[in-house]
Amino acid sequence: MVQFVVDVLIRAVDLALIAIGLSSVYSLIRFPNVALVQYATTGALLALCLQMAGLPLVVAAIAACALVGIIAVVLNVIVFERLLRAGSAIAMIGSLALSMMFSAIFLVTAGPRPKRFELEINPPLRFLGARLTEHQLMSVGISALAIIVFALILFRTDLGRCMRATATNSVLASATGIDTRKVTNTVVFLSGVMAALGGIGLSVKGEMSAQLGLDMLLPVFAAAILGGLGNALGAAVGAVVIAAAETMVTNVNFGPLFGASVLFIPAAYATAASFLLLVVVLLIKPYGLFVSEVKRV
Amino acid sequence: MHKALLAAACLALSSLPALAQELVLGAVVPLSGASATLGDDQRRGIELAVDKINEKGGLLGGKKLRVIVEDSGGRAPSALDAAKKLVTVDNVPVVIGEYSSGITIPVGQYLVQEGRVHLNIGSSSGKIRGLGDGSFSLIGLDNVSSGFAAQDVVDNKWKKAAVIVPNNAYGQGVAEQFQKAFAALGGEVVTTVMYTEGQTTYRRELQQMERSEPDVYVYSAYGKEAATINRESFELGINATPWYAIYLSMCTSDADPKFIQGQYGLDLNYIGPDGAAYEAAYKAKYKEPFKTSFNGYGYDAVMMAAAAIEKAGSAEPKAISAALKEIGNGYKGATGDITFDADRQRSKQPYLKLKIEDGVQQR
Repeated sequence: MVQFVVDVLIRAVDLALIAIGLSSVYSLIRFPNVALVQYATTGALLALCLQMAGLPLVVAAIAACALVGIIAVVLNVIVFERLLRAGSAIAMIGSLALSMMFSAIFLVTAGPRPKRFELEINPPLRFLGARLTEHQLMSVGISALAIIVFALILFRTDLGRCMRATATNSVLASATGIDTRKVTNTVVFLSGVMAALGGIGLSVKGEMSAQLGLDMLLPVFAAAILGGLGNALGAAVGAVVIAAAETMVTNVNFGPLFGASVLFIPAAYATAASFLLLVVVLLIKPYGLFVSEVKRV
Repeated sequence: MHKALLAAACLALSSLPALAQELVLGAVVPLSGASATLGDDQRRGIELAVDKINEKGGLLGGKKLRVIVEDSGGRAPSALDAAKKLVTVDNVPVVIGEYSSGITIPVGQYLVQEGRVHLNIGSSSGKIRGLGDGSFSLIGLDNVSSGFAAQDVVDNKWKKAAVIVPNNAYGQGVAEQFQKAFAALGGEVVTTVMYTEGQTTYRRELQQMERSEPDVYVYSAYGKEAATINRESFELGINATPWYAIYLSMCTSDADPKFIQGQYGLDLNYIGPDGAAYEAAYKAKYKEPFKTSFNGYGYDAVMMAAAAIEKAGSAEPKAISAALKEIGNGYKGATGDITFDADRQRSKQPYLKLKIEDGVQQR
């Protein structure tokens, strides 16, 4: 049971960082940015490059996060701001195109083979019968910290108040003197940083490949939609629910039902389970589990 | 303009094998993807055979031998594209390859259909037996290897086995044959996991297997995927239970020695009684001992094809195929005695029992 909770937690923080970024950007500019998951891969690959260049992993990770944040802002200014004038559907298709370009760039620069950070691997730590590696512990800790910091920014600072005001009614917000464009770009920067951190966290625990981002696309979207698109902290809860569903499906032993000692659903079907859950929840609550700031108006 | 024409003419001339004083064969092996390390080792064997034949003055009265080695990328569609290119553009009579059974089978089917000779040097799925006339296997198929593995596991007094293999023609063959042989010897396969190729993590699969509390984990996986499985089994602490590898050198070719310490396994006996000279040539050229156990089959394939061409006195696929059937009866290859059965499959295949100590295979 403890192992189950640990597995859910590990999976949830990976999903949550990117899902929160997706949801908070959506709340401001009303389109889901598909390319966001590719920022996660970019972050992991940049951190690997910097580590190979001789920087310690922590410094490399911080630098990579900042770089990805800047890339996110630049792309927002030169691509998405223009596309958004034509409508949010156009912007979303544009982000899909951008995401494909990212995939091609990863294949050309990093190649198709999975890569790993240079990290010492040690036997697992035992914690109430559950196994946990140091890297997992570290990655969960850092991700949780990042989520808390983001929540504090959102609810305890001026910037957060401006963000929420812009999300609720951007015309009114700019009439009261808020520079909505600046607020939006700050949030885009933060979403890039969080996506990169998510990608690095994922790679620290295992491997990174050009597919890393695209593999996350569907679960991340499911988490964000489940939490109510536009509601940043709802996305975190959505991530926990999706992670629990995925872990549950591969952990339930169907053996006794069929007279065998052990019989599991193949792990490859884990994502299918989370989508089933998403469909069911959306049928009952079409706007997700939580009412978002966007819908409250 | 004139220059372009001239260049085009040169290109057209150079691609006609009849004009050049050389004899061209083809090979499709995985030089990239999960099995890249193994495919590159196959290429080394092929290269050594070509060097040896050309040193001795080539084939059919002085024609130089050349083998075009194409990359399959470890994917069936690109392997088929490569085979098509070899057949239609280079017009080769013989194609050697691939490595993974799931890819060898479609490539073999295509070659048989085109009337070319196919030499299987790395795949062991039972389905290869049915490829048809023109397709030869220089390697023992998995009914032989799985039976050997089951006996070895039983000899080690392990009763409950959890099996993990790739979800493809090769993995299905191994899982099925091992279960059959193991059950006949009184053992029980408590769980069988077919993993999806090319994932970056197999944690969930390993955790499922662990729940069945086996005495031994039996696995067979391609180089880089096996490396991931071994690392994660270490991270989960389930490597405390013995691990048994079917084709140990394939499963450990990309692994960190720390994660595979103490693993048991079987492997192809890659050096026959007449293989000493080959082993010496390999060490001299590549400055290291055998990387995997698969290079010798590439070497034997080229040597046998060359012998068949000499015997037939022509490079026609039909003639080569007929000559191969005659040669393949007690042929003394680097990998030992090669004798084909009625289905043109190698009938005898010696194996080794191995254990990894300090990162090195011990017999």
